[in-house]
Amino acid sequence: MHALIDGVLTGSVYALMATGLTLIFGVMEIINVAQGILVILGAYFSYTLSTHFGIDLFLGLLITIPAMFVVGVVIERVFVARLKGPEKTAMSILVTYAIALVIEGSLNQIYSVNYQQLSAWYVNKSFELFGVYFPYIYVYGFLLAVGLLSALYVMLYRTRFGASIRASLADQAAAALVGIDVKRVSTICFGLGVAITGAGGMIYGATNTFNASSGADLISRLLTIIVLGGMGSLGGALVAGILMVTVEDIVGVVWSPIWSTMSFFIVLVVVLSLRPQGLFGKLSSRVA
Amino acid sequence: MAESTTFVTFSGVFAGYGGGDVLKDVTFEVPKGGVTTIVGPNGSGKSTLLKTVSGLVRPRLGTITFKEHNLVGMSPREILRLGVVQVPQNHSLFREMSVEENVELGAFLVKDKKVIKSRLDGVKAMFPIVAERAKDKAGSLSGGQQRLVEFARCLMLEPELVVLDEPSMGLDPKTLRSMFATVKLMNQAGRTVLLVEQNARQALKLSDYGVVLENGHVRLMGSGHEVLNHPEIGTLYLGGAISDDVAPPAASTTESEDPS
Repeated sequence: MHALIDGVLTGSVYALMATGLTLIFGVMEIINVAQGILVILGAYFSYTLSTHFGIDLFLGLLITIPAMFVVGVVIERVFVARLKGPEKTAMSILVTYAIALVIEGSLNQIYSVNYQQLSAWYVNKSFELFGVYFPYIYVYGFLLAVGLLSALYVMLYRTRFGASIRASLADQAAAALVGIDVKRVSTICFGLGVAITGAGGMIYGATNTFNASSGADLISRLLTIIVLGGMGSLGGALVAGILMVTVEDIVGVVWSPIWSTMSFFIVLVVVLSLRPQGLFGKLSSRVA
Repeated sequence: MAESTTFVTFSGVFAGYGGGDVLKDVTFEVPKGGVTTIVGPNGSGKSTLLKTVSGLVRPRLGTITFKEHNLVGMSPREILRLGVVQVPQNHSLFREMSVEENVELGAFLVKDKKVIKSRLDGVKAMFPIVAERAKDKAGSLSGGQQRLVEFARCLMLEPELVVLDEPSMGLDPKTLRSMFATVKLMNQAGRTVLLVEQNARQALKLSDYGVVLENGHVRLMGSGHEVLNHPEIGTLYLGGAISDDVAPPAASTTESEDPS
């Protein structure tokens, strides 16, 4: 039971981080391999704000999220927007991998390779409910993820800009023919994807020790989640994020933590064997 | 025939896709207020010509003038703002979005919500399917219904020029007739229509003007009636010259324009 609750709470944060990745892929057909290191960059932003400026981790997000949005917009404008043609998706892996290496190297230089963890009063304290102990940070992280994902949902389904994003997700040429500025939508989506990832980075940094190399482990998990959920499917990222982490936690408790990491990928192999398009993906003629 | 004031002028247009010119020195005028149909064999450059109007293909040489604006070099968005809307050959509705959302997106460039609402009401009156299936996903509609919703969507900008690229593609004969009737209706509502059609005979019957493209050149232009009855063109592209009310002998029909 505890593992199940833990899985849902942690999984929602993974879902938040993976949503950024799948949004970027859905609109732009770009696989942003740098998403893992961008989570860590978000964590380091929070680390700097809390240790050097004494700003609360959640309050600090008011700075981190816009800052990460700007980072995303700059990466998109300078590097990603130049990718065109049929090789675009494949090239995006190489380009964003190079970006990831540069960010990782810079973070190592600035913060050293020592592991860090974000601290605040709610990071180490728990409360008890029905005999189960809930660490505050997991609950707050869950609420943050739910809040941000709900805001994203409202933006996508209740606003004109959201409609233009969904139209661009579906068919870029048709979107351009009704007057949607697909380039602008792409830039903003990349910024949004990186921004919400940065928010996830704060929770990740508060619940795990991290250094710049942690991004590599994260990106494999995030890619697994969006492939399982269906590439480009926002709902899929949410369900798959929670499912994967819950399965991992339950396997860790019931069998052994040694098997828990592997269970992540076993779930992927089993689901893809039955549904190659992922849980909520659609088979399409899109060629990567 | 509609009043013959020039609306769009193609002047010495050369355009292609990088592998040589598809359009070679195309020059003709689209008069205001009528339906102008471009016909010609496959590969003659009909669709490319329409793409130059909507900004999807940029001509290498020449000018396309619409109400004193040269459209060459403008983005599709800028051209939309001038009141030129294209309905492409392939279905272009967003399948996962509702019919109403699709139609509303037609007015994406309009900011005033009241204006959008009143246009939506107008479009619903003209196309009952938009009201009847408002909340259904566009992907659940039949091909003909999707085409009507695309027409409805393009009218949300209240365009002055509607550019239709083979709207009959994939439609059954019954739907085809209602589609052509709708084109005429849009025209009667004040839109100038520029149309490319493989169903050349049916399209020319409802057209005020006809243009025959052949191998990237304008081979002939005139009234719809003249093009339809031109003996040489009729033999080449329309399955034999005929008058408006006499069907061509089936054996001489080389392009099967009229599946009915």
